[in-house]
Amino acid sequence: MLKKWLLAAALATGLSGPAFAETVNILMEGVPDTEYVKTLLPEFTKETGIEVNLEVVNYAEMHTKLVPQLVAPKGSYSAIVVDFYWVGEFTKAGWLQPLDERIKADNFDTSVYVPKLMDLVGRVDGTTYMLPFYNYAMGLLYRKDLLADEKNKTDFKAKYGFDLDVPKTWDEYLKQVEFFTKDGINGVVNQGLRPDPIAMEWSNYLFANGGEYHDANWKATLNTEAGVKAVEQYATNVNKYGPIGSASFSFDEAFNVMAQGKAYSYITYNFFRAGIDDASKSAVVGKVEIMPVPGTEAGKGGSLNGAWGWAIPKSSPNADAAWKFLKWVESPAIAKKRALQGGSPTRTDVFDDAEVNAKYPYAKALKEMLLTSHNFPVFTYTPQLVEVLGRELSLAVAGEKKPAEALAAIETEMTELAKKDGKLK
Amino acid sequence: MTLAADDRRLNDLPRAEQTAVERRDRMFGWLIASPSLGLLFLVILFPVFWALYTSVHDYTLIAPNFDTFNGIDNYTKALGDPEFRHTLWLTAFFVAAVVLLEFALGFLVALMLNSVERFKAIYYAILLCPLLMNPVIVGLIWRMFLHPSLGIVNYLLSLVGIDPVNWLGSTKVALWTIVMVDIWHQVSFMIVLLLAGLSALPREPYEAARVDGASALRSFWHITVPLMLPVIAVTLLIRLIFAVKTYDLVYIMTRGGPGVATDLVSYFIYRTAFVGLNIGEASAMSAILLAVIMGLTVWLHRYMRSLT
Amino acid sequence: MKRIAARVLPHIILCAFSLLILMPLLWILRVSFTDRLTAYKIPPEIGTVGLMNYVEIFARYPFTGWFLNSLIIALGATAIALPLATALAYAFARFNTGGTFLRLGVLASQMLPPIILVLPLFGMFLFAGLMQSHVGLIIAHLTISLPFLSWMLVSFFEGDVARLEEAARVDGATRWQAFRYIAVPVAAPGILAAGLLGFILSWNEFLFALVLSGPSSQTLPVGLAALETHAGVEIAPLAAATVVSLVPVFALLPFLRKHLIKGLSLGALK
Repeated sequence: MLKKWLLAAALATGLSGPAFAETVNILMEGVPDTEYVKTLLPEFTKETGIEVNLEVVNYAEMHTKLVPQLVAPKGSYSAIVVDFYWVGEFTKAGWLQPLDERIKADNFDTSVYVPKLMDLVGRVDGTTYMLPFYNYAMGLLYRKDLLADEKNKTDFKAKYGFDLDVPKTWDEYLKQVEFFTKDGINGVVNQGLRPDPIAMEWSNYLFANGGEYHDANWKATLNTEAGVKAVEQYATNVNKYGPIGSASFSFDEAFNVMAQGKAYSYITYNFFRAGIDDASKSAVVGKVEIMPVPGTEAGKGGSLNGAWGWAIPKSSPNADAAWKFLKWVESPAIAKKRALQGGSPTRTDVFDDAEVNAKYPYAKALKEMLLTSHNFPVFTYTPQLVEVLGRELSLAVAGEKKPAEALAAIETEMTELAKKDGKLK
Repeated sequence: MTLAADDRRLNDLPRAEQTAVERRDRMFGWLIASPSLGLLFLVILFPVFWALYTSVHDYTLIAPNFDTFNGIDNYTKALGDPEFRHTLWLTAFFVAAVVLLEFALGFLVALMLNSVERFKAIYYAILLCPLLMNPVIVGLIWRMFLHPSLGIVNYLLSLVGIDPVNWLGSTKVALWTIVMVDIWHQVSFMIVLLLAGLSALPREPYEAARVDGASALRSFWHITVPLMLPVIAVTLLIRLIFAVKTYDLVYIMTRGGPGVATDLVSYFIYRTAFVGLNIGEASAMSAILLAVIMGLTVWLHRYMRSLT
Repeated sequence: MKRIAARVLPHIILCAFSLLILMPLLWILRVSFTDRLTAYKIPPEIGTVGLMNYVEIFARYPFTGWFLNSLIIALGATAIALPLATALAYAFARFNTGGTFLRLGVLASQMLPPIILVLPLFGMFLFAGLMQSHVGLIIAHLTISLPFLSWMLVSFFEGDVARLEEAARVDGATRWQAFRYIAVPVAAPGILAAGLLGFILSWNEFLFALVLSGPSSQTLPVGLAALETHAGVEIAPLAAATVVSLVPVFALLPFLRKHLIKGLSLGALK
């Protein structure tokens, strides 16, 4: 027995101890952008001699796996990627290393990042903890072939008195949703699953109606005209214009409805734009385009911003090597190569790059979307707020609570969380 | 029965030797139990103690320390939370439904399996398949099957003229859908254990009954059921403990929705701990759960003893 | 007539039940040969057919590694847990070792949601240098399977076995011999079932495997869960992986055929 234990201990240290060649271990999620990074890794190893080991897990499980690692004095991960949900929590708990000194010492230019993204997954209260990795701002996917159809154009004009075209305002879009719910097609498909799918999607409805989560002093501003309208419109879209069951759809089910050509529109993460042109998943290749979620008036956007950032945890066993990797992966050349493979950029220079624009004509719309997007409240309890939103909105959609009741409940809990975090005095 | 046998043996021996035999019996018991107990003691005692200790402290992941002792605050807060109480009731209902339905179906299939020889191994291999699938995979696959407009289940129903069922999006149906998927996934667990119990039954009582001309139903009630009681009790108990811990299936399929229709307690505790970051309160909730299951176990244990 | 009915009826019930279990599995098999677009086509179409998903799970994902890790860990944990749990169960059943208190105590840790136990366990493993190793995961899974297996097995040692053992003891067998050569063979169906269920417990265990594993020890459930990505569920490769991971069950058929037949019961021993 003793022998076995000794063997066990020896084996374990052998497996987890530092190897001879330096290795950067990173925990990542299985998304397209991770794949793009993976393909470029040999370049980094050739340049620096440092091996990179990407461990890929499911998004939902990532937080569970990360937390013990971050609490530990010395964990297994050199660098990590951080969803904007976790930014408040990770920084408040002191789990991330500030990057400002490294940025200054190496003259790394952070001004090229889209400012909204730097606010979301870069800087917290003036300190830089992360470099924005990729964005997942939400946009409106719509069927351009249905919009261009002559019969639809005349019918729409006759019914609503204005032209059928790419919607300029939110109200125009809602009319289109009503109009296109016909002939076995739904005007819209929603992702009503709690907590994050519904909370994220509904946020677009809130912003599109001109609403916001809170004012400058973190006082909740949800139970307002815009908020109530957003809940009513959302419930109507799910229950009246959407396919049966969309109250429990995650983005996977919703995307499949859109991809099978059974819906006119779907508000979702922008990286689905690439998926819709993949013939192994989609029956509507070339028929769908993306645009910023329209707002109260032309030029105002209602899109929700979202992004991941690279960070170095305090528990990182080799922070210097990790920084070398971050510097490399976010360098203009590598960021451009990732974008050319289909990645979602965070840097304005990549968005403006001629090659990127030539390959992906919708890059311009994506940049526009980011510039007019709105950020979700980022504080220590962001995931809990999402949880509350999910529960209450789901109850409202199910008809078990009135919109104003649900919003009042969200406001109460949001106020409590903001107070607990010291944001609201 | 065990005790009766021991007594008879002991009664044949002189008093002093009796105690010596008893002592050596006890020692032998501890000796063969010690490797397991040692391992469990080493590995699991600290985590259990840690959980109970945290449950009386203000321990969050943002500030993970035991600085603030807060007595039963976490417990009163948990019990005062209507959402927690809702999840407890819902879980009680869910557990009762899956355990009883799976037992009824499982016992029937186990009896049938026990009575056949041909194709037995094939039936057995088929019923093992769902068990070897992880709940996460089961959830993802069934979500595809149950897609209201693009799923195969509603399509098949439409062929016989049934309107599409909103399996996971309706507050009235969703919990039953989870129960149904759980039965598909876990019923074989009961079958494997019950079948083992059936095949370990002695033969003589049945032969005696046959000589007496008793019907199959009679020998089922008067021989099979009483002899199977200990195995049945353990099967129910273990399945119950697993059912209370169900969270992956709900997590993958509904996230507790629509509304709060499928919000089972284990998923709620998971959220309190790793989303709400409040480990202290989550530990208190777990301790409450532990007390409830422990109570049920003791009751079941006693009840079954009183029957045999 | 009645006797034929009594013979056929069990097969009818068993066939119906097997069909209920099988139908979803057959649909998984079908999806594994097609792409996501075809998988969601209603009414169903033949669509794209090919082996691309099988190629993908081996070429793009480290499926072999996941599978082997799961197999090593589940087999290791079961091989250790089964004899230990058998001995513990025997001690409980025959000598009432530790009384009801110990019996309940052994199971108590399993009545707590694992999410509560995972943080301290992580800390201990970090301290002991067992993080990310196969051995660590085997130990973690032992803490789950030991209590359950011993509870399952207790009932198989109760009953008439005690009398047989007593007879053997009178004939001069030691306690160990009575346990090893009388009690264990009589409880064999239970031990076999417990071994199977112990393997399944470890094979499907998710949370400990997630938190305590590293890149080289990632198990099948953790790996496959990553096919649910932010860009949707890779349902077709997932189906292919499920099919491949179920095929070994049918390799067990000869073994099952041999051990499921009646004859391991008390009657055979006399």
